[in-house]
Amino acid sequence: MNTRLALVMAMILCFAITIGAGCSSKSGSMPPGATQVKVEDETPPEPAPEPEPMPEPDYDQEALMQQQRQEAAVQLGFMINFAFDSYELSQEARDLLSQKARLMKQYTGMTMVIEGYCDERGTEEYNLALGEKRARAAFEHLVILGVEPERLSIVSFGEERPLDPAHNEAAWAKNRRDEFKVSF
Amino acid sequence: MKRYAVIALALVMMLSTFSLASAQDQAPLTVDIFGPGQRQVNLVILPPRSLEEQMPQFAETFEKTVKNNLSYLPFIKGTQMSQLLGGDPSKGVRSTEIDFRPLQLAKIDLVMTTGWKPNGVEVRVFDTFGRRMIIGKAYGRVSKENVVSIADRFCSAFVDALTGKKAFFDSPLAFVRQLGKSKEIYTVLPQGRELTRITTMGGFNLGPAWSPDGSKLAFTHIGGKSHYLGIFDAKTGKTTLHTEKLGQSVISPEFMPGGGLAVTLNRHGHADIFQLDGNYKPRRVLAKSSFIDVSPSFDRAGRKMVFTSGRAGNPHIYMMDLQSGSVRRITLDGPYNTHPCISPDGRYIAYNRRTGSGHRIFVYDLATGRDRQVSFGPGSDEYPAFGPDGYFIAFASNRSGQYKLYLTTRHGDAAKMIQTGSGAAFAPAWDTKLQ
Repeated sequence: MNTRLALVMAMILCFAITIGAGCSSKSGSMPPGATQVKVEDETPPEPAPEPEPMPEPDYDQEALMQQQRQEAAVQLGFMINFAFDSYELSQEARDLLSQKARLMKQYTGMTMVIEGYCDERGTEEYNLALGEKRARAAFEHLVILGVEPERLSIVSFGEERPLDPAHNEAAWAKNRRDEFKVSF
Repeated sequence: MKRYAVIALALVMMLSTFSLASAQDQAPLTVDIFGPGQRQVNLVILPPRSLEEQMPQFAETFEKTVKNNLSYLPFIKGTQMSQLLGGDPSKGVRSTEIDFRPLQLAKIDLVMTTGWKPNGVEVRVFDTFGRRMIIGKAYGRVSKENVVSIADRFCSAFVDALTGKKAFFDSPLAFVRQLGKSKEIYTVLPQGRELTRITTMGGFNLGPAWSPDGSKLAFTHIGGKSHYLGIFDAKTGKTTLHTEKLGQSVISPEFMPGGGLAVTLNRHGHADIFQLDGNYKPRRVLAKSSFIDVSPSFDRAGRKMVFTSGRAGNPHIYMMDLQSGSVRRITLDGPYNTHPCISPDGRYIAYNRRTGSGHRIFVYDLATGRDRQVSFGPGSDEYPAFGPDGYFIAFASNRSGQYKLYLTTRHGDAAKMIQTGSGAAFAPAWDTKLQ
């Protein structure tokens, strides 16, 4: 009995498989769009699995700050230039000084020496006084913009240490300058 | 010992004989270097003679040194003996041994003879028209080592006899010499001898100035963050740097005749001239304005101070009466007049003026109110400094391509270069203690 039942069930199963295989081959031959079935999955997507936590890159914060300070020092070191026998600050010079004031306020540990220079024309001692006026003009502007005066000092080199030793207007224009030396 | 005493006695007698001879023969020929137009005298130097034995080898050095020294004096014109008719007109070194006629024909005013003895020399200069001796000097123990200095001493005495002033060959100049990238202070005699280094600090050492007694030199030392007042003391040979209460700028120090030191400092936001006390601390303001006041210079009596000020918009020369404090503008022309130096007698102001062809030295006569250009380039002529006699003016010029020191006179005589060794030379300052 059991054997007969099992055999019948096996036959039914075989028949069903045969039917299923026939349907499947039929659906493969159906044109696209023939079926109207539309599946809409309303279930929210499962959140992506949390990535494995990666180890933080091992940056030296001190080195980073050091680099930033050096970059600031480079910007602070940009020179300003003057007209002949003048210690008036041009608009370009004022813009550069504003940038310097911002950086000096950001890096409070920095101090700065402002060096005033002249071109070779003129008398040594008058040029020393003129170089001092040029350094002082920058000093006072930075103080007005909020830099503590005790962090700034000035020195005049007069016509010494020319950037360009040539004897022409282009060289003289380069040499009439303030240099900014930063320490931190 | 006895022998030395005899030699010394002989030398003293010899010197007194010459001095007596000099006194008896009152020199009729003099050169007034202070006159409006100086006189130029022609001089011939006769070949040296040996009076007793063989002539020493350094006799030639003596002659060369004297010739070189005298070439700095624009009022003496050297003439070669070869230009005389008949060659050497002398048979000895005394006036009786000289035939003055060919010298007179050649319009030679002065003739110099040199006679050598063992370890000694006699030098005489005669006025050829008056046939009188202007100066006669004998020097003992002349050697190879001291012959140059003896030649200097003779020249000094000669100029004294001729002009009444002997300071020229004995008064050193301090100046700034370029050594690589630094500038150091040196001193040198105007005839180019005794070049001596004063500072060895490196950096920039600028604007030397002598104390009235010639025992100290003041200068500006530029350090990395500030200026310093440098003081060199010749008595101790030491240099000290001062900065306390002076601020960051110390410019153009100048000793004052009555004591103290004048210097430009910036204590109130502008460069003013201050007087410092004996400890080099500020005592009082001498000249003040909202502009640059710099480069003080004083006459010997300490009555006048001349200085540069930018108070009129451009740098000009001003003079202050130190008793009343009244200030008078001296230069009216030109856009740039700087670096004044007043003559020790207080009559002339030498200064630097920028012209279309470079800086030039001008001399302003306070008695007449007139300017006179005394240097003519090419290049730039700067830093005038009066000598002790108020006659010579030293200055620096780049006429040869590099700045060097030169000498002229307040009459604008042809400039002659002073030997200062290699490297550029600037900012001469003359020791004026001998007058």
